[in-house]
Amino acid sequence: MKKTIQIPLGSQHISLLEPIRFKFECENEKIIGVDADVGFVHRGVELACTRSFEFKQVGYVVARVCGLCAITHSLSYTLAVEKLLGYVANDRIKYLRMLMVELDRIHSHMLCLAHTAENAGFEALFMQIMGDRELVMEVQEAISGNRVQFDYISIGGVNRDLTSELVDLVRKNLTTLSEKMEILTGLFDNNWSLSLKYKGVGVLTLEDAYTYNALGPLARASGLATDVRAETSDFPYEALGYTMMLESTGDIHARNFVRLREIVNSIAICRNIVDNLPMGEIQEKVKGKPKGEEIVRIEAPRGELFYLVRGNGTNTLERVRIKTPTFSGIPAMMEVFKGSQYADAPAILASFDPCMSCTAK
Amino acid sequence: MFKSMVEAFKNLFKPVRTINYPAQEIILPSGYRGLIEYDKEACIFCDKCEKVCPPGAILFYQHEEGEKEYRYNPWLCIYCGECVRACPKPQEAIWQSETKQQSAVKEDGANEGWFVWEEACKKSREAYAAAKKERKPKMKSEEPLCVS
Repeated sequence: MKKTIQIPLGSQHISLLEPIRFKFECENEKIIGVDADVGFVHRGVELACTRSFEFKQVGYVVARVCGLCAITHSLSYTLAVEKLLGYVANDRIKYLRMLMVELDRIHSHMLCLAHTAENAGFEALFMQIMGDRELVMEVQEAISGNRVQFDYISIGGVNRDLTSELVDLVRKNLTTLSEKMEILTGLFDNNWSLSLKYKGVGVLTLEDAYTYNALGPLARASGLATDVRAETSDFPYEALGYTMMLESTGDIHARNFVRLREIVNSIAICRNIVDNLPMGEIQEKVKGKPKGEEIVRIEAPRGELFYLVRGNGTNTLERVRIKTPTFSGIPAMMEVFKGSQYADAPAILASFDPCMSCTAK
Repeated sequence: MFKSMVEAFKNLFKPVRTINYPAQEIILPSGYRGLIEYDKEACIFCDKCEKVCPPGAILFYQHEEGEKEYRYNPWLCIYCGECVRACPKPQEAIWQSETKQQSAVKEDGANEGWFVWEEACKKSREAYAAAKKERKPKMKSEEPLCVS
């Protein structure tokens, strides 16, 4: 007789934000094998970019790949095209783009923390974090003019300038947020019932992280020092107070802590940006048509986002390839599930912060 | 235990953090990206806004006499403001307001009606181009005579 049972999780499940299906091979309560299916929200974005839209419009198309990291997608694409056109943005544009990406990282990490808390059974904490997240959303809405689809970055610059009132709003809201972050960090560190759900659960060892090519907060929680912000020189992150956050245990608690500390770090970066904003034009004319091939890597909230853009000197691109952090992280994620309890699966899944719309595009 | 009970009791009298939406209005921040508005008097009909629009929400209908008519689908628009940046006379001919678009109902014909318009605009362009072509060969046949 067969000794194991198969339990599916998804594609529709109460703990999932987006459709993904896991097939768990369980021995009693213990998971011994995992099979994942991610392609439920395929929309054919890559093909649309090369068929229906001109290269100047594609920036707005790829922004719609994902609702949470919209700005990272449009930034990666814009950078790739700007490299093909031989254009280098001035410091003001770079700083404004960085500001939006870091604000995006803060609110995305907060969503993940809230969701992890909810999946571990703490609805009140979920509400509290989502309430605090509004502070960042307000800033983003005021800067870009929309809450979710920012449409802030275009080829040759950014679409709106940062006025002095906006700078005041950024300072005010980030100060309030950093006070709240202290309370949250204390809560995640000291709360006894949270530690039962988080500490020692869903461990990814450093060796596994290296073997299965983990990335983003997942890798940094295991102690693997990988961050595109430190590896590339497209943006002056080092000068603006970026530090890599590493933990060593590799469990859910460590992942939460990497995110909490990255939020604090991002708040510091945002403050440095608005304090030291250089003068300059925010939108410059870029002429020419993309010819050749270019790759760009950007650190999205979930890890490395990879873009390949190939043009043939016409208005329509030949190829746009998007490799999202969740897609690259699937092998490592599957490894974490093995050996853990089935009841912990939703919390572990939430701690990866998977983004299915990105992955299936 | 006692501490958390005091905290819970205090929370009963704290103001709520959510907005009581239909009863209470959501205040949009200044600079909200809303509907695109247009002034026919200032427009020079260069069609630049139509060309750059990512979703194709702006169309120009070509009349036979050579006049053009501006057509805009507020439900297809993504409010990116690319048309305003492309316009040679921004803020005069075309500009972005702070009004939020209401949801479409069936009578608005956000989809079906727009498909008809799209087709009509395309056909009007083709018809106009064909008419222009017909006029041109006559001119050309006259030209060589003049030169010789």
